Amino acid sequence: MQEVLQIAGAAKRFGGVHALIDANLTLYAGEIHALLGENGAGKSTLLKSLAGVHQLDAGSIRLFGRDFNVSGTRGSQDQGIAVIYQEPSLFPDLTLAENVFVGRQLGKGLKVDWREMNRRAGELFVRLGVPLDPSRRARGLSIADQQIVEIAKALSLNAKVIVMDEPTAALSGSETERLFGVARSLRNEGAALVFVSHRLDEVMELCHRVTVLRDGATVATAAISEVDIDQIVKWMVGREVSELFPKVASNIGETILKVEGLSREGQFDDISFDVKSGEIVGVAGLVGSGRSEVVRAIFGVDKYDSGSVEFLGEKLKRNSPGEAMQRGIAFVPEDRRQQGLFMPISILKNISITMLKTLSNFGLVSRSQELAEGEEWSRKLQIKFNSINDSVDRLSGGNQQKVVLAKWLSTQPRLLIIDEPTRGIDVGTKSEVHRFISEQASRGLGILMISSELPEVLGMADKVLVMREGRLVGRFSAKDATPENVIAAASGAN
Amino acid sequence: MRKLISIREFPIFVVFVLFYLTAGLGNHQIFTTSGLHDILFGSAIVALLAVAETLIIVMKHIDLSIGSVIGFSSYLIGKNASEGHGLFFCMSIGVGLGLLVGALNGLLVAYFRLPSLVVTLGTLYLVRGYFSQVVGGDFINSGQVPKLLTSMATHTFVKVPLLFIVSLIVALIVGLYMRNMRSGRDLYAIGSNHSAALLAGINVAHRTFWAFTAAGGIAGFAGAVLLARYGQAQANSGLGIELNVVAACVVGGVAIAGGVGTVYGAIIGAILLQTIVLALGALGVSQFWQGVVNGALLIAAISLDKILSMRSVRTQIMRKVQHD
Amino acid sequence: MISVKNNLKQLNQNLTWDKGVGILLVLTVIFGWVMTPDFASTSNLGFVLQDIGEILIIALPMTFLIIAGEIDLSVASTLSLASSTMGYAYRSGLGFGIAVFIGILVSILCGAINGFLVNYLGLQSLAVTIGTMGLFRGLCFVLLGNQPVNQLPDFWANLGSESIPHTFLPWSVVIIIPSVIIAWVVLHRTRVGRWTFVTGISAEAARFSGIPDKRFKFWLFVATGFMSGVAAFVYTLRFASASPDSATGYELSVIAAVLFGGVSIAGGFGTMWGVLFSVLELGAIRSVLQLINFTANALQMVSGALLLFSVALPRVIEMLKTRREARVKPSVTSLTSSRSV
Repeated sequence: MQEVLQIAGAAKRFGGVHALIDANLTLYAGEIHALLGENGAGKSTLLKSLAGVHQLDAGSIRLFGRDFNVSGTRGSQDQGIAVIYQEPSLFPDLTLAENVFVGRQLGKGLKVDWREMNRRAGELFVRLGVPLDPSRRARGLSIADQQIVEIAKALSLNAKVIVMDEPTAALSGSETERLFGVARSLRNEGAALVFVSHRLDEVMELCHRVTVLRDGATVATAAISEVDIDQIVKWMVGREVSELFPKVASNIGETILKVEGLSREGQFDDISFDVKSGEIVGVAGLVGSGRSEVVRAIFGVDKYDSGSVEFLGEKLKRNSPGEAMQRGIAFVPEDRRQQGLFMPISILKNISITMLKTLSNFGLVSRSQELAEGEEWSRKLQIKFNSINDSVDRLSGGNQQKVVLAKWLSTQPRLLIIDEPTRGIDVGTKSEVHRFISEQASRGLGILMISSELPEVLGMADKVLVMREGRLVGRFSAKDATPENVIAAASGAN
Repeated sequence: MRKLISIREFPIFVVFVLFYLTAGLGNHQIFTTSGLHDILFGSAIVALLAVAETLIIVMKHIDLSIGSVIGFSSYLIGKNASEGHGLFFCMSIGVGLGLLVGALNGLLVAYFRLPSLVVTLGTLYLVRGYFSQVVGGDFINSGQVPKLLTSMATHTFVKVPLLFIVSLIVALIVGLYMRNMRSGRDLYAIGSNHSAALLAGINVAHRTFWAFTAAGGIAGFAGAVLLARYGQAQANSGLGIELNVVAACVVGGVAIAGGVGTVYGAIIGAILLQTIVLALGALGVSQFWQGVVNGALLIAAISLDKILSMRSVRTQIMRKVQHD
Repeated sequence: MISVKNNLKQLNQNLTWDKGVGILLVLTVIFGWVMTPDFASTSNLGFVLQDIGEILIIALPMTFLIIAGEIDLSVASTLSLASSTMGYAYRSGLGFGIAVFIGILVSILCGAINGFLVNYLGLQSLAVTIGTMGLFRGLCFVLLGNQPVNQLPDFWANLGSESIPHTFLPWSVVIIIPSVIIAWVVLHRTRVGRWTFVTGISAEAARFSGIPDKRFKFWLFVATGFMSGVAAFVYTLRFASASPDSATGYELSVIAAVLFGGVSIAGGFGTMWGVLFSVLELGAIRSVLQLINFTANALQMVSGALLLFSVALPRVIEMLKTRREARVKPSVTSLTSSRSV
């Protein structure tokens, strides 16, 4: 088989975070190659380096034997690499044919040849086995169909390497089958496909070979026929689960949060669980399984259609984060930069934003009090900075997360909801964060923690909930939860 | 037939017909050709400017400065004509002014990446202020307007006012460009998804710059039409026309959100606005309601647009069990 | 050598935009005084204050709006509508006080309409307020036709043109000065001010921090409407008439002043000092121009130029900075993506 792509020794860091340390991948024509790894293992960075978004700090990429060195996605597209993302970005107001040929519309001279464009686009769709109408607008197209358009675009660019990043996350069963059919026919034509996914059952069904990344390095490459899911999981998870999770024993008390039958059309259905004081409830599941949506609905940032949330014995008002905050719920969101912090604003002001009422005398914010509180919490959480008046975007990811924690812990909450507590954080700070969380639990705080990192969930939680495609499909106590159980429930591989 | 109904401009056309009928009920004169003539004549200028504005709005920008450009241009054309220069020369001055202002807008929006609202607001007043400064109390009266222009104002072709035909021709040129030229299609791409347009390798800055410049040029050209229509020009020519133009566009299906709409819709929008004015008059509503109607229509059009576009693709997490 | 560099760096950091405008103001005053001694006369100062009074009043809530990431182009029309309402009510026989009260109610309603459309229907504030700008202005003509109301009670009319006894200050300062102080305090020292800044940086993050951003911005629009009504009161007294085409172009002056005062059009940044200096500067420039015989139209030009300048300059600085940084670090991290590592 012809070697199409070879990535060797790829390394890339962002500030203090080493996203890639030593990643290797060899791709042959006519294969569908799975790229696996937990969140934070480096898959995304590797793909972006291929797509031309990032430049590697070290290592090499060779495409058809030649050095691959481009910046900018146009360059990478021209060289024959196409990346299809989980949520494609089409032009909603242009037709499908235009989307396929955007920027390179077919035509004579300056003029657009509509008929030719429609015909060629139509041909591509037929070739992919999906009967889409090239002259319809892209708006309203399902994600599955959007992906097909993206693939058609890739084909029109004569892509030799097609990377699919979590393509099935938003697809139904039949759409997934359709996508697999497309992938197989592409591969039969000699293209090389990279398939990134958390859904191990799909990987086993579709792919020929697999490469597993862990902590930025390739830990294994094998033919699918020679391995099973358990082996793959072991490679992904790797280290001992008991590693350094300073779990402080805590007394689990009364129920503080009770969620019953929470549902929102198209997002999650019939979610019921509770959280007790002193308890750490971990929520595991694949990316896109609806976990964040559920907790956002509980906190009130998103709506829900039916069901109820009871906090400290009383019903919690829907869709009102202000009320949730007042009653004693804290929420550390998934996206630190867009949701958790105000990046250009100072550390101090970020911390105090939730406490302003208490810091005010006669409506005026007391700067001295604010400073005192800010410094105290920075000390408690050991946030490292130059000056508390620096803007938070100067801090490392780990310290930024600490600021978010400080902001919320200072409200003296009874329940702390955290979505991905240690995403994008260096190892050292990770364990600090874990320690805080445990400490808070031991003081009686109830913790609801979403995490895609298995060791984290298994190491910290007293109770593990597993979600898949909007439903709660697994409940395990700390004793019963094992990596295999959890991944099996999360990916539906039963 | 199905295809006809699904064109974005169709409902607007229907609304126009409805209003036209209403107007006619109150004043049968409207049903006559002279009635139709008045509508087309009255909407010619807004229609022409709306064509220019369409280029800008589809890119998800806005150009508020065209009102000042058209006014200034009409004065310059008249002034130069009254000093004995040939028509072509005078027109060049007018168009040249428009191109200059448009280029300034384009430079600031495309290359400095400043918000088009603020930029064109600034140039609007910059130009208008300078215009007032230059004109002072001077004005162009009908005697000074080039004969060719005044005659165009009175002539018709197949009963359609010549001035309107001019707008129609410009609309056709711009419309064909936007529909059939590669760079024209890029304008829609830019408005539909700016970041994806960049990724797709479209030279966004370049296109944006030239779109603003062209819009300015058209506004400059429209100065001649303004001069022809009113037979005069003074310091407040073209004042406040921006609102009408934006309303005409939005009502005509050129969504503020960008990426969609055609010059043909904008023209229908301009005609519709004019018809509504007449319809209200026919119903006995005083002319003073005109501004109110324009504003209300704009708001209604934006709201409707927003409601209709709420059929957005929300992330579907749960597998669609129904049609498996 | 090093200390000079350090000092320059220090100067650069301390020279924030609003201080720059303040310095410009001082320079303009000096320039004006040199050009003609009349400039610094008390009567001229009083005149300048009168001239920019309404602009300053409306610039106060506009500052909040723009920092919070919104904009309102309808303020001049709201002013005009409130003024027209006052005139209409008075002409219809109601007491002047009641007429003013009704006018201000109308202006609050205008603000509420804007607030509703932007925050509860989710429409863009730019487009909406272009629409309401026309709508409100149109209603002025509906109310008054082409006839302004020129008969106002003598007492009030005189108040509009006289100064406070023994000073050069116009009576409007009684409204202006407390308003400025309150606005400054609220923006820079209260929770509401903080909310304004953070909502402008990221409405999403504000929501995640428990701030009711939509409700908050609704009230900002209402406050803007209210202040436009207050400005209408001052305006009506100043001109001793209520006319349907009042305050044309004032929205530009307000926005230009706010942006020139260092408030970022993108939201999230700005100071009240800057806006105050900027409005005064606007008045000073206008006065200088008038005294050296420029026409009133020059003001429009100047406003337009200031507007362009105040948005272009930060961008130019930013572009120079990135160019300098790119020369130091050759590796290109080109496009940002919302996907995390």
